[in-house]
Amino acid sequence: MTTASAILLVGHPNVGKSVLFHRLTGAYVNVSNYPGTTVEVTRAAARFDVSASLLDTPGVLALPARSDDERATMQALLNESSRCLVQVGDAKNLRRTLTLTALLAELGVPMVLALNMHDEATARGVTVDTDELAKELAMPVITTVATGGEGISPLTHAISQARVPETLLLYDEEFERHIATVAAAITEHCPHPQIAARGLAILFLGGDSVVEDWLRHAAGERYPLLDQLCRAARETTEGDLPGLLARERTEAADALSAAVIQRAVRSSPLLSQRLGQYVVHPVWGVPILLGVLYAVYQFVGVFGASVLVGLMEKDLFEGILNPAFTDFVTSVVTVPWLSELLVGQYGLWTMGMTYALALILPIVTTFFFAFGVLEDSGYLPRLTVIANRLFSLIGLNGRAVLPMVLGLGCVTMATLTTRILHSPRERLITIFLLALAIPCSAQLGVVLGMLGGVSFAAVVIWALAMVGILLLSGFLAAKLIPGRRIPLVTELPPMRLPIIANVLKKTGGRLKWYLIEVIPLFLLGTFIMYVLDKSGALPAIIEAGEPLVSGWLGLPKEASAAFVMGFLRRDFGATGLFAMAHSLSPIQAVVGMITITLFIPCFASLMMMVKEQGAKTALAMLGMIVPFAFLIGGLFNIVLRAVWS
Amino acid sequence: MSPTHEARIPLAFIPPGTEVRLAALGEEIDALQREQLTAYGLAENRPIKVLQQRPMTVILADEVELALEHAVARHIWVNKDEDRA
Repeated sequence: MTTASAILLVGHPNVGKSVLFHRLTGAYVNVSNYPGTTVEVTRAAARFDVSASLLDTPGVLALPARSDDERATMQALLNESSRCLVQVGDAKNLRRTLTLTALLAELGVPMVLALNMHDEATARGVTVDTDELAKELAMPVITTVATGGEGISPLTHAISQARVPETLLLYDEEFERHIATVAAAITEHCPHPQIAARGLAILFLGGDSVVEDWLRHAAGERYPLLDQLCRAARETTEGDLPGLLARERTEAADALSAAVIQRAVRSSPLLSQRLGQYVVHPVWGVPILLGVLYAVYQFVGVFGASVLVGLMEKDLFEGILNPAFTDFVTSVVTVPWLSELLVGQYGLWTMGMTYALALILPIVTTFFFAFGVLEDSGYLPRLTVIANRLFSLIGLNGRAVLPMVLGLGCVTMATLTTRILHSPRERLITIFLLALAIPCSAQLGVVLGMLGGVSFAAVVIWALAMVGILLLSGFLAAKLIPGRRIPLVTELPPMRLPIIANVLKKTGGRLKWYLIEVIPLFLLGTFIMYVLDKSGALPAIIEAGEPLVSGWLGLPKEASAAFVMGFLRRDFGATGLFAMAHSLSPIQAVVGMITITLFIPCFASLMMMVKEQGAKTALAMLGMIVPFAFLIGGLFNIVLRAVWS
Repeated sequence: MSPTHEARIPLAFIPPGTEVRLAALGEEIDALQREQLTAYGLAENRPIKVLQQRPMTVILADEVELALEHAVARHIWVNKDEDRA
């Protein structure tokens, strides 16, 4: 348990906890207009009180904990020395907010309720009598608009006035008896230093696995007694005890909500609601999707990968920086091997930094900006609705589209985001498909740049190959991996006009993460290539790889070097092929790009796969992906030579 | 307002634009997903407005817009309120 006095932000997904966290700490965490953005607890010092640390917890749909997000939040509630809980709720949906309050209030920890997105509630004609609500709950209730910074000062004041709230309800008499019995046993055998035994008893009877584990550990040999009491309560209850307890909380929340809320009658839906409905409309949804994809392509594929890369690579690096740096190094460094290491063919600056900054940076910057706009607009959750049918073919539901689209930016980041998926099976399939067939933005830019220079047909063949392999592999994975598909149920947050300052902050945060990951690996990769070249190993590898690379894939034997580079990062390898584009035929270019796209994910992604799925599963995936990439590349070589000549 | 005529119908078969009240979540829905739906505010007797049925069922419950696959919406029973429709 930590010694710091922690203030925990707790609440439903997508109610603005992370924006409030940013307002209260100055620390920026990834914030998006879709549920599940925060997948880990984030901690930072509070601006208003240096002695306190603020924790941003993943959104909980409900407690007791069922999902990974809810378990992470429950662990924070149990393991932190909490000074107070700040429940962040959606002001326009008070009933749902109070359903969670009904449980949090049982924990016996001082609380504040922040009703966020107050502006959206007002726009919908929803008015909450916050004074009356604060009186009923016996704790401070504040209205906020986190994105606009409204209500932050009253909230920080309220945190200093936080109070243990009144409980919202007394459960059914029989349930109260069970709760009292279990709470008494907890008090006797394993009291929590802060959380009330009654709250723990309600969570335990509700089937919260985190509380169960905590009690097992804290009660030690006395745990079987608690377990027995819980089983007895469930057996004597007619119906599902966790469900019945939840239902009583919902009814209590309904009653309180009805007493403090007023709704003005609205004659027509808001513009944002109408827009949101058009986006998932059975007729208009697909044309809107195509329009969005075209706009993203124009911004990332044309403006980023062509205009900005041209400016950076040709004008800035090749025109100014590289000649100047080369002149400087050759005049100052008199040791030939060191000079070559810095500015030679495999030079740390002329290859490593030029690849990372001139080729990759413009592409990922434009992608992350476009992705940020889509995230904050509320479009992405609606994309899950449009994509659901397609993803059902591969045993997933539409929610998997979110990590897949993010994977087009950075597969490593997307692998982490698979935590928003509800079942281990969905996560396994999605991580496999990300590793196999989703090119990151850097690689995508290189592929489009190279194949775009060959012909439009080459781009289409590559794209169809990727989509086909994604669907086929997903279909087979869904058949082979045991478990069933979970139908999609998702909240569609309101469509909002993105705040550009927020999008820029988010883009900056992602770029920082990406560059910290990319630059060391690019420099390491360049150094390895330099060493292999100087030691004479590179020519040997090229010779050894000839039967596979030249014989089976039909590529020049020098392409082996690109695959060696691809072991560090796929985009590094693709860039290596790009560098020899002038010596490749159209078929060789397509085969090379298909193979390198399917080839192993980058080193950082592999590490993330190990983190999320364990070393055994990650290595098994790797063992399938590498031969599969060469198999498919070779088959395309044979087929294309037969039909495209 | 009490309905003049009540009939339990699966949510998936309610035409867009209709307002209904939730009657029950069917046992066919996975237990965890039932809890999830309750947490979203789908509790007995709560009003729901159906916004569309294709490609998925989209409803408005309070101010929350939810998209449900037909496999789930087929097992959500609602009472159609003839006066409201």
